[in-house]
Amino acid sequence: MTTITEIQTTQVYQVFIKATPEAIWEAITRPEFTVRYFHGARIELADGRRRTYGPNGETWGDEAILEEDPPRKLVHGWRSLYDPELAAEETSRVTWEIEQQDGGVSLLTVVHDQLEGAPKTASSVAGVGWMRVLSGLKTLLETGDALS
Amino acid sequence: MTCDHSVTYYLGMTDDDLVFRALADPTRRLLLDRLFERDGRTLTELESQLEMTRFGVMKHLRILEQAGLVVSRKAGRNRLHYLNPVPIRLIHDRWIDKYTEHRVSALAELKTQLEETG
Repeated sequence: MTTITEIQTTQVYQVFIKATPEAIWEAITRPEFTVRYFHGARIELADGRRRTYGPNGETWGDEAILEEDPPRKLVHGWRSLYDPELAAEETSRVTWEIEQQDGGVSLLTVVHDQLEGAPKTASSVAGVGWMRVLSGLKTLLETGDALS
Repeated sequence: MTCDHSVTYYLGMTDDDLVFRALADPTRRLLLDRLFERDGRTLTELESQLEMTRFGVMKHLRILEQAGLVVSRKAGRNRLHYLNPVPIRLIHDRWIDKYTEHRVSALAELKTQLEETG
């Protein structure tokens, strides 16, 4: 067995999804979609902020949008407010890139970086965190079902 | 095979085929383990850990990239390789969950039957 020997300050995740870039953009920026695959979170973009709310309306995240180029690129800060230990760490950065491929397929790349000041956040999102979100997003877009 | 990713993606193999093919080799599994230990490595770093020519390591990395298990990105003058665990998660969701769920429900059914008759 191998173990993670150091904190991954840059994490890269990639998934092919049979959907248009526009559909993926909607799925990652509108609360009625995110609630179905993003740990039940309602995520919305407004006033230059990306805000995340939990099932009871509690704020899970509220960070600046650094770049917004629909339906190709979204860059925003990341600080997990749902856990005091994680919330105390420095803000990291998440970049979503959507590239259209042949055959009605798009390639979605998520880069979570600038994690140097957020080691607990880094290990929290590195486990099944992003994998689960992206797997759920693909399932939702390709089959219309939310993962149980 | 001129592009770093995705061009060779549609040679008639499904996503799962590419992942299983990529995993069916001890050197490639070793490369994934090395990236799991420390992500974002250059070819030179990866090569130094294997008793293999640079060309051999490149060939294996290419197969891993085609399967989506490794993503390479430019960082300044370097090209860094990252482990992308999403395809393994997809196989997990698609296959392993399906079988374990069935087994669990079969056991649950057996328990109900035994308890009803017993």
